[in-house]
Amino acid sequence: MEADEHGVDRYLVTRVVAEQDSQAFGELVKRHQSRVRNFLRKLSRDPTLADDLAQDCFIQVWDKLHTYSGKGTVIGWILKVAYTTFLQSKRRSRRYDEIVEQAGQGAEASTDPSGSEEVTDLDRFLAVLSDEERAVMVMSYAMGMSHREISEATSQPVGTVKSIIFRGKERIRESFAIKNHQHG
Amino acid sequence: MRSKIINMAERMKDTEDAALEALFRSEPIADDGFSARVVSKVRRRVWVRRLALPLAVIAGAAISAPAIRDVAVIMNDLAGMLPTGSLGLSTAILPQTSAVLLVAAATIAALFALPAFDD
Repeated sequence: MEADEHGVDRYLVTRVVAEQDSQAFGELVKRHQSRVRNFLRKLSRDPTLADDLAQDCFIQVWDKLHTYSGKGTVIGWILKVAYTTFLQSKRRSRRYDEIVEQAGQGAEASTDPSGSEEVTDLDRFLAVLSDEERAVMVMSYAMGMSHREISEATSQPVGTVKSIIFRGKERIRESFAIKNHQHG
Repeated sequence: MRSKIINMAERMKDTEDAALEALFRSEPIADDGFSARVVSKVRRRVWVRRLALPLAVIAGAAISAPAIRDVAVIMNDLAGMLPTGSLGLSTAILPQTSAVLLVAAATIAALFALPAFDD
């Protein structure tokens, strides 16, 4: 089933690259927009900014699709473009820093984590992670990507990816959310 | 004893992973015209790219046309000053030089412009 999905993706990519077929590209966007937007929403923690970045990301995908080597999944490659788009935008924009700062202040101000909703837990957890850690954790646990895929997407060695995930788990262990979710 | 420790570690890992997955889980986001917006942007970019070079060539040809014509006129005058037969060409074609150059520039511009309207 997964192989079929991958086959459809590859067929669409071929049509886009060979014929500049915007209809096939539209189909590709439809298939993956949810994951890309979810990924960017978790990274930026601002739905509007994330959707703008997702649009930029897919434009980049259109421009660079001919460089997709066929190694790994298409969605893995698209998420790599999304991550790069996010990092580029972050360098350009101070807006991101303001949002992170606000979220971080919210995390510090909160004293009763047990009463929080899941989304708030996630927001607070993400706020204490660096961009790199956040991206890797989101790719691993929200996107279900393998360590190798994450390594390719972030241009980090697999060992580094594993240690980032390990560090992320350590932080989870030390924090509130996981116990609440496990037992409540 | 050792295997029990390993099993416990694996179990802990599984529990943690499951909890993390639960924490990161999110509902699929509805398309709501997102892909249509992206495709429309892409189509616009394709058109802009297709038209950029031909338009630049046409604009360049239009701007340079008077200069080309002037050069042709000067060449024509200079050629007229030379003794008859020294160029090995018939002097009868020289008055048409400016027209020939302009037609050539227009043809080159058209060759660049036409592929943009292929589809």
